[in-house]
Amino acid sequence: MKWQPDSKVLLQGINHPLGAYYATQMKDYGTQLVAGVSVGKGGETLGDIPVFDLVEEAVHQFGIIDMTVILNPAYEVLDAALEAIAAGIKQLIIVSSGVPPLDMISLLRKAETSHTFILGSGSQGLLIPDKLSVGTLDVSSYSHGKVGIISHCDALTDDIARELTQAGLGQSFVVSLGTDGLIGSNFEQWLQVLEEDEQTEVILLLGQPNSNGEMKAADYIASAIEKPVIGYLAGRYATLDKHFGDSTTIIANQLSQVFPAINSVQKTIIAFENAKIPVTKKPWELPSLIKTALNKPKLVDKENS
Amino acid sequence: MTDDTQHYSKLNMDLLEYQAKELFQKVGIPILPSQTIHDIGELKRLHIPYPVVLKSQVRAGGRGKVGGIRFVENTIDGIAAASAIFNLPISNEYPEVILAEAHYDSQSEFFLAIVLDYQLQSPVLLGSSKGGMDVETLLQNMEKVVLTDDFSAFHARHLAVKMGLTGELIAVVSDIVEKMYRLFLSADLDIIEINPLGVKNNGEVMALDGKIAINDSAIARHPDLYLWTNHQLNFADPLRWLKGDIKSGEIGLICNSYGLALSSWDLIREQQGNLAGALILEDDHPNLFLVNQLELALDKMRELPKLKVIFMNILGTSETSETVAEAIAQYFQPAILPKSDDRMTRPTGAISLGRERSPIKENSHLEYVPIVIRLVKGNLEPFQEKVSALPIYWNSSLEQCIADVLSLADSKN
Repeated sequence: MKWQPDSKVLLQGINHPLGAYYATQMKDYGTQLVAGVSVGKGGETLGDIPVFDLVEEAVHQFGIIDMTVILNPAYEVLDAALEAIAAGIKQLIIVSSGVPPLDMISLLRKAETSHTFILGSGSQGLLIPDKLSVGTLDVSSYSHGKVGIISHCDALTDDIARELTQAGLGQSFVVSLGTDGLIGSNFEQWLQVLEEDEQTEVILLLGQPNSNGEMKAADYIASAIEKPVIGYLAGRYATLDKHFGDSTTIIANQLSQVFPAINSVQKTIIAFENAKIPVTKKPWELPSLIKTALNKPKLVDKENS
Repeated sequence: MTDDTQHYSKLNMDLLEYQAKELFQKVGIPILPSQTIHDIGELKRLHIPYPVVLKSQVRAGGRGKVGGIRFVENTIDGIAAASAIFNLPISNEYPEVILAEAHYDSQSEFFLAIVLDYQLQSPVLLGSSKGGMDVETLLQNMEKVVLTDDFSAFHARHLAVKMGLTGELIAVVSDIVEKMYRLFLSADLDIIEINPLGVKNNGEVMALDGKIAINDSAIARHPDLYLWTNHQLNFADPLRWLKGDIKSGEIGLICNSYGLALSSWDLIREQQGNLAGALILEDDHPNLFLVNQLELALDKMRELPKLKVIFMNILGTSETSETVAEAIAQYFQPAILPKSDDRMTRPTGAISLGRERSPIKENSHLEYVPIVIRLVKGNLEPFQEKVSALPIYWNSSLEQCIADVLSLADSKN
């Protein structure tokens, strides 16, 4: 994914109840939010930006648009995304959650052939403190610093970030992957981005402990990430993800009505332990864990530790 | 570590066998002559010939092993069996319907399924030539075809050949798979399964059982199917629940995001707190402002039989915090609010639904259920003042709030 502080951004579905609020928040933060799209509202102004009926009209007026934030209702997201792709927008941030998985599959396949980057669905977006906020993250919770955050949680991200900010631990980069079952980009891609980002010294991974993505992330961190990673996993006792495991396993479990000896929550936690990623059960301990990680000498041989 | 919450949608989005078979019929998957029985009397008006199989219509598997499936040869036996089945709970679910089906003699049984694989981000075709009750053999013979491209009939043939089928059976079985896929796509399914698909030596096949699970995100765009899903997930219920131990839980959560709820839930459970459940408010709810959701949530919490403390953890702007604080102050006014014009002049985001808020009943033990509230921004003092006489504890520190919640739940009321 490519972003610059002056990337041009579109907001689709700006008629969302909080659309104008999000638009203003992004603009005030310095994002180049150039226009909004909402069928039937062409010609109006919402959140201080001009609104168009069609994405193409916005592109026609403002030239190439780099990113779009999609707020449309869940069942209209596929269509909104296809419209954006057809208009040449290469980076889609889908904030709407509850997009039907078959729609997402359709979209992800189209995105692959058109080389379009998808964040979400159910994402709160991406934020680079003091430079850019594309999405719905609460900007007041963030400040500039050395902690890169990759989140698979929802608004909890803002809450945790604020605690860090208040403890003087600002962020270098924040990305919200999206809470839906099928999402565009995964932990690995962003872990690599943060590994290469000069501003980031510590990576904070916020996730849910019964998700395939988190388990794969832990393995990836063990093998490919040198920077220290700290984790917080919300949902050890109450789980939301119902789709853990591959199809054969799901059927096998259902047929034998045997519940696996180690449940998915434990599997995820074990994966993090094996990867030597400190995971805290108490969010208020994150600042001290992060400070410890920041103060550690940087040359640590992962294989021998 | 156990999972506290019911997978509320996993159960509710499963169709019953007879519903799945109705959908099969619509796309041309062969099913047996059958009749749904809602009460014993209907057995006297059975229009399929004996012998007949009576099947409990519940969502749990393993019905056969516990007596939920019975073979009967005449009306008297049928009535006795049906009676037994109606009174037999399977995994805590009593059947409201029994499916009476004609008997079928098959020479072999296959397993067919299409599953949405979230890891592969593709639907997957699954098939086994050893379908039926012997799960181990079934799984040992399981073959799969991952649909990385759009589906076409040849994918189904590919599965059939992998399953070891030859001759006419290839076309017959792949035709069934094609029809299953058509349903899968059009109804936004997570799983469609036929086990067993009965096969006769003459090549005739029959779906002897059917399982369909509709994706819970997509269900709302299938209003006809929505009517079939478990009525516990009431569409009329405007708030989302994470249900814990409703009957004896002492702590209730009200949060405006799942993440906050999960995080608080974990913290409370780590210290052995007993959670009744969490109500999730939505900032962009289609019908209700946040304040109205909040009032509903407080009403619902007060219905919980063993509730000892409520923890409200609500994140947002200063304006949100102040609106919430004001709503709380108003909710606990000790009398019904007058419907005067005075209400309109207050700068809140709340719009009155014309609904009278129920007064705190004097004999209700829940009158003074303590509430711990976490709001992190805004000028809350004017509202805090109004309810200062009540056991409402305001704190922006999560650590402190959790400690307060646990000690209030522990204290003897």
